[in-house]
Amino acid sequence: MNLFQLALRNISRNAFRSWTIFLCAFYISGFALAMMLIVHGAEQSLDLANQRLGADILVVPNGSEQKVETSLLMGNPTNVWMPREVVEKIARLPEVESISPQLYLATLTNAACCSVSNMFVIAFDPQTDFTITPWLEQRLGRALNPGEAIGGMYVFTPPGEEGIKIYGTFVRLMGNLEPTGTGLDRALFISFDTAYDIARNSRTRAVEPLQIPDNSISAALIRVRRGNAAQIVSMKIEQQIPEVTAIDSPELFLSYRNQINGLAEIVWMVLAIALVLSIAIVDLIFTMAVNARRREIAVLRALGSTRRSIFFSLLAEANLLAFGGGMAGLALSALAVYLFRNLLVSSLQMPFLLPSLPELVFVLAIGILVVLAAVSISVLPPALAASRREPALAMRE
Amino acid sequence: MLISLKDVVKIYAPAKEQPVRAINGLSLEVPRGDFVAILGRSGAGKTTLLNLMAGLTRPTSGEVLVESANLWSLGDREQSRLRNRKIGFVFQFPSLLPSLTALENVALPNTFGKRLAGDEARVRAGQLLEMVGLTDKRNAFPRHLSAGQQQRVVVARALMNQPDILLADEATSNLDEQTEQEIMTLFQQIHAETGVTIVMVVHSSYLVRYATRSIQMANGKILSGD
Repeated sequence: MNLFQLALRNISRNAFRSWTIFLCAFYISGFALAMMLIVHGAEQSLDLANQRLGADILVVPNGSEQKVETSLLMGNPTNVWMPREVVEKIARLPEVESISPQLYLATLTNAACCSVSNMFVIAFDPQTDFTITPWLEQRLGRALNPGEAIGGMYVFTPPGEEGIKIYGTFVRLMGNLEPTGTGLDRALFISFDTAYDIARNSRTRAVEPLQIPDNSISAALIRVRRGNAAQIVSMKIEQQIPEVTAIDSPELFLSYRNQINGLAEIVWMVLAIALVLSIAIVDLIFTMAVNARRREIAVLRALGSTRRSIFFSLLAEANLLAFGGGMAGLALSALAVYLFRNLLVSSLQMPFLLPSLPELVFVLAIGILVVLAAVSISVLPPALAASRREPALAMRE
Repeated sequence: MLISLKDVVKIYAPAKEQPVRAINGLSLEVPRGDFVAILGRSGAGKTTLLNLMAGLTRPTSGEVLVESANLWSLGDREQSRLRNRKIGFVFQFPSLLPSLTALENVALPNTFGKRLAGDEARVRAGQLLEMVGLTDKRNAFPRHLSAGQQQRVVVARALMNQPDILLADEATSNLDEQTEQEIMTLFQQIHAETGVTIVMVVHSSYLVRYATRSIQMANGKILSGD
């Protein structure tokens, strides 16, 4: 029998005390991890979406900014158009380094001519594009040929098919982009030429033709020259071309960021309150347990246990329970977030990306340390008092 | 001298209560090998005297010496080691750890002193249980033992580290007459076989016959002693 085994025996003996500490650690760690994963996953997702666009400014038709942001983040296709001449007008601005137009298209719902219902399709101009083309050059070593496409992380060719059918035309999937946790993961990227080919073919091959208004685009991505503030260039664009809205990069997905920040504030507040309450509960329960065991502790002192070993064995008991509860809470929470990630995205209407394994391990380690620290703080006063109490007095009480 | 108390005063001063002078300028010497019975009415200071001898309470003034070492000049670690190695304690109240078996309870003092390896400690604890007649109860938990059996286990535990001193505080007060006699005979047998010094608080004068020397206490002082 050693002190560790003695602590384990005491844990199994006092079921109420043990379960209370275990459950406090379980709930706090589980709740903290789930919330941290959701908030962090959403923030990371927004950052990656921003990086994926790779633009300093996104120009969209007036009044459509919310629709476009939602499309990009949640993958719901949108149909917005503005005159193509907007591109030429913006390109003339001296602050603009490059501009690339995009078309936002959607496949039909439940139609035999489309492999995937209501899929978000983004057509880009290979001549000017600076977001997809660098990736293609790096991975494919060339630009996309007509009839080829690349997809977001979760886009795949249906089994047994030669490609993804869009309005009756097959496009070959040449690769997948890294995940962002946003709607971009379920979007298909094709060149302008492919988009116009599909639109032309759709008149004879699809139940409904793909409509791309003449001389129109859905959005334009802009890079500003070094030394120019994107915010000022955005304002200049809106002044010169009143029919468009220019969203500079930090402002992009701002409503989502605000929503996430709001959620994070509430989460941290609730977590802080829960933590303080848990510390108080564990302190109370432990104080009661130590009081009930004061004679037993006095006996241990009489048998030769030092104050230090009494203190550390009480601390060990609490920390063993906290470690068990904390690990169980963290594991269950991580599993729940992983299993229900799609439900989270649809119910919270927020993008979400799971953390990488090293990030998850780091967060788990921090989580367990916080739980152990909280429980140690809770049991410190009763453990100190018990170890310092004079044995003879404890026996008399 | 194995135990010396020199002009010891112990005052309990609980918060919001009148201070109580439990030991009032008491001096006592217990030579090695003695079997001392301490008698006295309730509140005479008997238990406090025993606690002072074991270093379980700090004297308000005076000195408590065990083998010439002043208990209260030692640090907590040294004092605990001395208690673990030199003193065995039998309490008045049930003092077995409920989560441990009889054998584990007996071996418990070795957990703090680590004089014996795990297996050796178990063998020694088994021998002690045999000595107190509880070999068949080695794996029983305290709740499955009678009061007399529990007290026998406590006696065995007190002897685990082969102490020089055995302090017993009304060890038989909660037992029936027959069990009381058995336990007292056990103490007598242990004293005769091991030569351990025993200081025992007793609740009745008829128990004095088991000891080699008796002390009568009242009001925190020794009234008489042979």
